[in-house]
Amino acid sequence: MSAAFGQIILTGVTMGLIYIMVALGLTLVFGVMRVVNFVHGEMVMLAAFSMYYIYGVWHVNFVLALVVSAALVSAVGVFFQRYLYKPLKYDMDSVMICALGASYAIKSASWLAFGPVPRHIPTVFPGMLHFFGAFLSKERAAACVICIALTAGLYLVLHKTKMGKAIRAVEQDSEAAQVLGISIDGVNAMVFVIGCSLAAVAGTFSGILFAVEPEMGSDPLMKCFMIILIGGIGSIPGAIVAGLMLGLIDSFSETLFSGEMAFIIGFALLMFILIVRPKGFFGYDISELTTRRKE
Amino acid sequence: MQRVLIGLASLLLLFSAVTGASWAAPKELVLGCNFILSGPAATLGIATQRGAEHAAEVINSTGFKVQGEQYVLKLEYFDSKYLPAEGMSNLEKMLNHGIRYIFTLSSGVSVPLVERTNMAKMLQLTDGSGADHLTSPKYPLSFRVTPNNETAYAVYPWLAKKYPQIKTIANINPTDEAGFTESETRVRCAKNLGMKSIANEMYKRGATDFYPVATKITALKPDMVDFGCTLGRDQALCGKALREVGYKGMFLVNYPDPGAFVEMAGRDAAEGAILSSAITEPQTPKQKELYEFYVKKFGSPVINKFYDSYDPIFMFVEAVKKANSLDPAQIAEALRTVRWDSVYGEMYVGMESLYGIKSCFCRPLPMGIIKNGKPMYLDTVAWPSSEVIAKLVRD
Repeated sequence: MSAAFGQIILTGVTMGLIYIMVALGLTLVFGVMRVVNFVHGEMVMLAAFSMYYIYGVWHVNFVLALVVSAALVSAVGVFFQRYLYKPLKYDMDSVMICALGASYAIKSASWLAFGPVPRHIPTVFPGMLHFFGAFLSKERAAACVICIALTAGLYLVLHKTKMGKAIRAVEQDSEAAQVLGISIDGVNAMVFVIGCSLAAVAGTFSGILFAVEPEMGSDPLMKCFMIILIGGIGSIPGAIVAGLMLGLIDSFSETLFSGEMAFIIGFALLMFILIVRPKGFFGYDISELTTRRKE
Repeated sequence: MQRVLIGLASLLLLFSAVTGASWAAPKELVLGCNFILSGPAATLGIATQRGAEHAAEVINSTGFKVQGEQYVLKLEYFDSKYLPAEGMSNLEKMLNHGIRYIFTLSSGVSVPLVERTNMAKMLQLTDGSGADHLTSPKYPLSFRVTPNNETAYAVYPWLAKKYPQIKTIANINPTDEAGFTESETRVRCAKNLGMKSIANEMYKRGATDFYPVATKITALKPDMVDFGCTLGRDQALCGKALREVGYKGMFLVNYPDPGAFVEMAGRDAAEGAILSSAITEPQTPKQKELYEFYVKKFGSPVINKFYDSYDPIFMFVEAVKKANSLDPAQIAEALRTVRWDSVYGEMYVGMESLYGIKSCFCRPLPMGIIKNGKPMYLDTVAWPSSEVIAKLVRD
């Protein structure tokens, strides 16, 4: 019984960390640019496919393949930032609709290009670990370690580097940042590069742990938005707390009840948080954001 | 000159009489195909299309006669996208085009159509589950062309005999039409054979992380996990998760592409998995012929849906010829009497003891096993008799 309980906790924590890995890039873009980047799920999917071909089929070194995949996906992300979001002046509503359309377009193009057959990225970390009767595959453990490293790395970049300071300045007040000589375009492009690179890592591990297919970005994207809203828009600590909470809720609910119940409980939590604390655990209020924009 | 012309005309008449040549183009018998040609299940739909197309090519090499007139079979394809609404829209298009026969894939798309096809007196052939929501005396023109949840009536008795150590089973199925009917059938079969279904898990189709359901099942320690009609990729991910959380028992897999199951679940996780109703290594000349045709034209692997959709087309045309009519009701009655030497063995329309009407195509089931990472032939299970089925369906 205790082994099963331990397994549920371990599964919940690993699920949560995997959600966080997908949500990090989205949180950053959402926080800095105040745009709902629906294309983020498709970035995860494109990264997974590029890893499948570069590493899985052409047998390029894993790290090199990851770098190339991140570069490719970042290029796509910057393309959207420059030619889709910027012309719309990063207006939240317009960008949300455009991004949704772009997301469907990318998914449809992927069906045509890659076909419907699910693929699988070969694992880099074969084998299992045992913790007091609970089991964890080494690939899941690696995903968790890398997620923690990425989160810590992102935090350090944002708080200890000049570029990070510029990003935080734009996040707080883009006009004031511009007056101080910070290039908003440059910062926005950099945010997209970082966000898409994080999506590339998330896509790689999603492809190793699960399956690579054109629909793979949709479900994680829904979870990401839940995490961002529960944790707070633009808040990395909030995303961590919300991600872990959601992972544990999903693990307990799915194990004890069903997948549908996990969905219901997760959304119930989201609705509760939005009613009781609209800005989430640590973030901005959405209505404040839109009011600030209109001013 | 006159004699030459008369001689030529006589030769022409003689030639026509001997060869039976008709100078008019053959007529077309149109079968509307409501397949899944895009979206997550397109692999199955495209393989189904290939099987049907090849069957039509073979049939049309000679054509067939109905009421003295020469016909060819024409397949008109419509993409259902695995959505009931699209399937219904396709059906309306077919009816507007005067199509009277439909071949549809998946119960999720087919079950919503059957009331409409029944009303329109349209012959409906379905490759999908759906149990008596699709095949019953209420729908005399509806047929199931590939045994789906019915395979449990053949496979479970075979399992009980071949693997008597299996006492407890865990069933996993998706939360949809096919999943509910499948789980009901399999749980009942297990009970009536003296096996115990200790878990009947329903998961949300499209789920990616199967650790929670795997944890629950592993804790119960079933002798076998039956994946029922779980989607192929979900079977592989679930199998992988089960092995990772420590499950050591057997798998019963229903994957149209067994090689992909090994690739996605992992060689170690897949080892020993029993493959239900899957042609792994072609055993008969017919299987080898079709296998070589597919690999030559489309490359490997051969998705089993290709074999599944091939022979039903022949049976349909045989029924048309037997009825000597284009009337769907007469064709349906004739279809119930057709016996066909299919790629699986003898195929016929039966299951009256279950559905109250002969409406499901019955045939032997090839069983496979995964050994050293390779899907291999294991056995061929004969279709059970009505008496066996009657014993298994009792509550």
